[in-house]
Amino acid sequence: MGEDREQFEEIFLPFLDAAYNLARWIVQHDQDAQDIVQEAYLRAFKGFHGFRGGNGRAWLLTIVRNTAYSWMNKQAADDKLVPYDEEKHAEIISFDQSTREIISETQKEYLRNALLRLPAEYREVIILYEFEGLSYKELALALGIPVGTVMSRLSRARRRLQQEFAHIRSAEAVNEL
Amino acid sequence: MNCEEARQSLDAYVDGELELTSQLALETHLAECVSCQDAAKRITHCSLIVRKNMPAYKAPPELRSKVRAMLRKEDEPSFRWFSEHGRQMAYAAALIILSCALAWTWLSLSPAYEKELVADAISNHSRSLMVSHLVDCPSDDPHTVRPWFNGKLDYSPPVADLTAAGYTLVGGRVDILEQRQVAAIVYQHGKHVINLFIWPATGRKIEMDVQSERGYHFCGWSKAGLNFLCISEITAADLETFEDEVREHVNL
Repeated sequence: MGEDREQFEEIFLPFLDAAYNLARWIVQHDQDAQDIVQEAYLRAFKGFHGFRGGNGRAWLLTIVRNTAYSWMNKQAADDKLVPYDEEKHAEIISFDQSTREIISETQKEYLRNALLRLPAEYREVIILYEFEGLSYKELALALGIPVGTVMSRLSRARRRLQQEFAHIRSAEAVNEL
Repeated sequence: MNCEEARQSLDAYVDGELELTSQLALETHLAECVSCQDAAKRITHCSLIVRKNMPAYKAPPELRSKVRAMLRKEDEPSFRWFSEHGRQMAYAAALIILSCALAWTWLSLSPAYEKELVADAISNHSRSLMVSHLVDCPSDDPHTVRPWFNGKLDYSPPVADLTAAGYTLVGGRVDILEQRQVAAIVYQHGKHVINLFIWPATGRKIEMDVQSERGYHFCGWSKAGLNFLCISEITAADLETFEDEVREHVNL
């Protein structure tokens, strides 16, 4: 028993920051995120025998994600998913091409707010793909959707993020006048 | 492939997640469509900016110890410990129960033990008759016989005056039973001699109804922490009476 736990800790404790980051982005609350991470680790430990190796990070994050949603009574994801009006947002808005790779602190704050304004469904796909580096296949497993849906969802999430970013930036620009 | 189709798989192309045939088809389109090339660049740029600038939350330091404590607790509660060790526990319990049962059987019911005891007692009895070594302390007075054992034994055997019942006290001697010194109180009934062996019932208690072996009758019982075993050639009925008399007089 002790050996199992040591092995489990060795594999999964290094992903603690990733687990917390994901939970925190989903529920947007420190204490809730901590509780979710603890519960997720407990679930993962109980299901450790079902872990067949491979991407431990993706496996754990899937559990964190599912734990977070059951924590939010499973409805949060749907409630926060605002129908996306393709017509209205037909115009392609993006980060200014002149925007450098590393952006200013102010712009980082815009980015953070833009992410927070995203529906949970888009936010998690951005975090899991861009930040945690899961593959489309791992995303499909984690989110319980087909790879084709991962493709379109990530695509829409990126467009939506750029729109929110542009929106915030222009609003701030107006305020600064 | 037209632009609309291309845009649908552009993200996957940028992410390197397109299967080979789709990728080749898209590359063919991109080679001749500047608009889609720009779109691809924007996606790459967006992805890069998010990756490099997305604020990440770091787990609070206490979270690690909380998680570890929780895992340890989950790993070692008693029910889990029992499920891990239940088999050994069951074996141990079974072994203890078996040992107790064996010991109990051996101590109280072992026919082999009683047989040996009786055989020893019979040979003591017959030897006491043969070698004119019936008693070391000849006396018909219990108050002479009982004190005689003082210093010879680590206990004081009861010596009853059963004259009224027809059992005359002859005297006492020290004999050996169960590899220990025991008191032998000798009575006479008619022409027959009765050897009454008395010793502390620290190990095994005996309980034997009147039986016969090799022409002798014997019976044994436990009372007041002492074992009593008597042997004689008298009839079974007379021995039973003798037992009753002794039991009655043993009021320690």
